[in-house]
Amino acid sequence: MPVYNLYIGCSVPVNYPNYEAAMHRVAQAFDMELLYMEGVACCGSPNLRAIDHMGWVTVNARTLAIADKNGHDIVTPCNGCFGSLKDVYHLLKHDDKLRNKINQVLKKEGLEFKGTTTPRHFVETLYNDIGIEEIERKITKPLDGVGIAIHYGCHLLRPVDVTEFKPEYLKELVEVTGATVVEYPLWKQCCGATVLPVDESLGIRLARDKLKSMKEAGAVFATVVCPACGNQLDLQQLGLKESYGEEYSLPVLLYPQILGLAIGLDEQAVGLSMNRVPANPILSHLGS
Amino acid sequence: MRTATGEVICRMHVVYTMAETEERTGPPVTLIDPIDMSKLDTKFREEIKSMPNGEELSACFACSTCTAACPIANIWKYKPHQLIRMMLLGMREEVLMSNEIWLCLTCYQCQERCPQKVRVTDIFFDCKNLAAEQGKVPPKVVALAKELLTKGQLYSVTADWEREDMGLEPAVPGLSVEAVKTILGSTRTKRLAGGEE
Repeated sequence: MPVYNLYIGCSVPVNYPNYEAAMHRVAQAFDMELLYMEGVACCGSPNLRAIDHMGWVTVNARTLAIADKNGHDIVTPCNGCFGSLKDVYHLLKHDDKLRNKINQVLKKEGLEFKGTTTPRHFVETLYNDIGIEEIERKITKPLDGVGIAIHYGCHLLRPVDVTEFKPEYLKELVEVTGATVVEYPLWKQCCGATVLPVDESLGIRLARDKLKSMKEAGAVFATVVCPACGNQLDLQQLGLKESYGEEYSLPVLLYPQILGLAIGLDEQAVGLSMNRVPANPILSHLGS
Repeated sequence: MRTATGEVICRMHVVYTMAETEERTGPPVTLIDPIDMSKLDTKFREEIKSMPNGEELSACFACSTCTAACPIANIWKYKPHQLIRMMLLGMREEVLMSNEIWLCLTCYQCQERCPQKVRVTDIFFDCKNLAAEQGKVPPKVVALAKELLTKGQLYSVTADWEREDMGLEPAVPGLSVEAVKTILGSTRTKRLAGGEE
């Protein structure tokens, strides 16, 4: 049974308990043990990186060092946390001077960044550690080919030399559930979350562009693997009614909810009622 | 216009607009203000190049691919390729005081496409840090820094019944905000956001 350090971050437990629970139940079904990391908090997000590089490096180096101590890779369900941890991991792996400096600070807590464990996104561990074949064997209620648009999220995909994540991972993970992946022109585009504190109307416009592109390509559902992207694409649909007078009615599911339903979990187990745009129409696309 | 079989496929009209007869009042829009050489900071490029991921800065050959890739460059006064050029020229104040560096979505589409491997997005992060060192940070970003400094995180659990409904522990297991608060209490975050305590 693979064991992981679960770095849950600050947004998922507060805004997406359904994501957290669906992830746990999916992990359990595939014999993955997710252990909450002790003594950690927020990654700081790109906002901290923008204003306080050393603070951001130290906070995340500390998290990485805690994992190095018990030897299990970190998994996180949040692209923001994944981006921060991966960026700092990459930085410290390639900059001996910075690593020594940071390790001097971490020493006070009896910690050391060694880089022997790796920070990973939950969906990447599903793909690489469990594998599509194994997942396919567990599918008992395959989807009926309904069209799902994937929003990967910027910090999952880029910069690719840092994230080492391939879009095929998530594409195949969606396809194995029986769904059809809907290609759409703006698939690489940002959800707009990062810019909200600086220019809210721009952030909202970007979410709108994205939803429009998905809808026009024929998506019936969308999926995300990040709470910030979830806020922008799911919750923001309520805001778009006010700001643009537009209604998209595009249900947005966190990926483990889709996989969870396809392996036979019920709608309560994956917290379907917590999605902002009603997501229960997915139930009529499940096979028996 | 007709095809060989005589079918009309489109009609073209030549329209003479009023603009052609209007007198020009200013310089052509393609011209930018002259750069004041005496205000250039020749060390700025070295400063950026010494920062994390800044090394490749001078590999830029101004092809503007970064600008073409940026989903919001159309609303920027200075486009991404111009900002990179401004750094190379030493226009320190204009770059660090620009709103553009803060509007960057950090989506990395520019960086991904750069044929010269200039780490454009990462360099904008470096610029924001330099601007922050001078105290130039948008107020809402300072507010987020304050959250991190005082609470150790950006979001704190309020509706724990939602967690319980999902069969999760009401409090986040393993959470300890003290280390984040301690670390940020001795770095730039404290200087930027710790003033009113």
